[in-house]
Amino acid sequence: MTDQQRQMADYIMNQLIRRPGILVEETTPLVSSGLIDSLLLVDILQKLEDVTGTRIPAGKVRAADLDTIQLMFATAARVGRPRAR
Amino acid sequence: MSRPDPSAPAPQSPDAELPPYETLIDALLAAPHGKPFVTMWRDEDDSETVDFGRFRELVFAQAAFLRSVGVQPQDRVILIMDQGIPLMATFAAAFHLGAAPAILAYPNLKMDPAKYRFGLAGVSANLKARLAVLDEKFPEALLGHVGLEGGAAFVRALNAPPHVSAPPPSHARADQLAFIQHSAGTTGLQKGVGLTHRAVLSHLRRLAPALALSPSDRIYSWLPLYHDMGLIACFMLPLVFHLELVMQSPNDWVMQPSSMLELIDNRRCSLAWVPNFAFQFLARRVRPRDRSFDLSSLRALINCSEPVRASSIDEFRSTYQDCGLASTAVQSCYAMAETVFAATQSDLTRPPTRAWINSEIIRKQHRAEPVSSADPAAVCFVSSGRPIPGVEIRIDTPAGSQGIGEILIRSESMFSGYFNRPDLTALALQDGWYRSGDLGFELDGELYVTGRKKDMIIVAGENIYPQDVEEIVSGHPAIHDGRVVAFGRFDPEAGTEEIVVVAEVNSEEQLAETLRFELEIRNSIMGQLGIAVRRIYLKAPKWVVKSTAGKPARSSTRDKLLLEHDELRPAGGTRNGK
Repeated sequence: MTDQQRQMADYIMNQLIRRPGILVEETTPLVSSGLIDSLLLVDILQKLEDVTGTRIPAGKVRAADLDTIQLMFATAARVGRPRAR
Repeated sequence: MSRPDPSAPAPQSPDAELPPYETLIDALLAAPHGKPFVTMWRDEDDSETVDFGRFRELVFAQAAFLRSVGVQPQDRVILIMDQGIPLMATFAAAFHLGAAPAILAYPNLKMDPAKYRFGLAGVSANLKARLAVLDEKFPEALLGHVGLEGGAAFVRALNAPPHVSAPPPSHARADQLAFIQHSAGTTGLQKGVGLTHRAVLSHLRRLAPALALSPSDRIYSWLPLYHDMGLIACFMLPLVFHLELVMQSPNDWVMQPSSMLELIDNRRCSLAWVPNFAFQFLARRVRPRDRSFDLSSLRALINCSEPVRASSIDEFRSTYQDCGLASTAVQSCYAMAETVFAATQSDLTRPPTRAWINSEIIRKQHRAEPVSSADPAAVCFVSSGRPIPGVEIRIDTPAGSQGIGEILIRSESMFSGYFNRPDLTALALQDGWYRSGDLGFELDGELYVTGRKKDMIIVAGENIYPQDVEEIVSGHPAIHDGRVVAFGRFDPEAGTEEIVVVAEVNSEEQLAETLRFELEIRNSIMGQLGIAVRRIYLKAPKWVVKSTAGKPARSSTRDKLLLEHDELRPAGGTRNGK
């Protein structure tokens, strides 16, 4: 994992899942496995924007696009836009 | 809420201007051609608006398409399409032809194909549906699993149907089913609420004055169209009263909640309905740097479909107090598909009434005795308002006046039964009254909803039967079959309920593998019901409390779990709104 991916994984494990023993790797399914519910997707999206320094339009993102750390960064690269200063 | 005098004349609707439409199609045909109807917003560079004239054309084109694939008057048509204008046009097209459409929820991410096939087959068997219409985004992996009963076919929806020069004739009739709404649950528990054109129009006519509806109102919605709040308040109401609707999909909203407030601001929307959890979600999940909205156009943001919590409303109000939010903007209602929509509505000229009730008397005597808000035993309830004209509400309680009991409803435009389910109808409709399964009390003519008699769990406005969850958990090989209890617990952080599951493993030794089993169980529940369970507790054999009949006792097991786990108990007591 890159540093950015590690930041995301740590955030998801420590702030969202908060269940000792569950390890989030690059390809760990999060939404489809029931580890993350839909009400937490906004937290993932906001954190992803902060980590990548982009703005990600929610209308271009489906829950499946955020299912793994790998998919999250691919999504940010695909639809992320420079953040307005 | 006392029973109206049966000899008294029916209340006169102050809205005398709505023409006497016979059907929903009459209302659509009378709409002004160039007035904008629906704006479907996805993001700043992906938005589509149709006016009433264009929407009518789409309805006729979809009707021609449905007719070409064999849809006849009085057929049932299942629609499994993403939220948007094609779904709305296909829905109206079906009732234009005299058929009854039923919108089903879109399959969720990683839906288990076998479970999907089973669920859809069950619904189509119950509806005896002629056809299921699926859109182009319907997952390929599930296509082979669209099994319909009785030889019903499925077709792909046409997103852009060819224009038709002459509209197909309408076979809609006032007393025919206009559509069928489905409640929560899997096959065994699915209930289809069929409503006639007359019932829907009659209800909306009586609801409009309670909302002080005007032609300049503009509705905002992210609510799914398979839910009564989305379908009736945010599709049928604007269709009948020729109002503009600004809509987005629930998925887009939940990933970017600020978009709702941006749209209300930019499009100057005046009306919206959301479940209770959304008030807290909007207060907590919109980043402070994004909170520069002008919400002064919002006449009523109505809290509906979950118990109304004072704390959620207060958090929303204090977060957005500098955004021009009117002091009367947050309102409440009590609604369900069986009564078409809102049975009660709060008075829009003032904030919903709050009642401070003695919590000890509630517990011990099942009565609602008002006390001062400073009383240490006081608990706050928010009123859901008064019955709208033509609706009667009665509290079924042996505790006399101010007793807390099941809320019974009778209305001029109530459903007549669950489609093809006389067994469930007999339980729900008794002596002309609909037994809601919700508990509440009446005070000064206003309804206060306090909880539920049924075990239904409501997560973010979605109804979930605990039995559905328990059945899935029971299917795990490490779980002792039948020794599972699922229940809802109010999560003050989220402003809604979360699902808690407690289950016995087959042997003590298996407790060493709880993490693995938990993950497998979460995975199964997500695959079969599309919901994420936050808390799963696996226990040693014989932990679950059983009833005298030998079945798991849900309430006693819940109490036992709450005693053992501090994290499940609300911090600072159980008061609502304090």
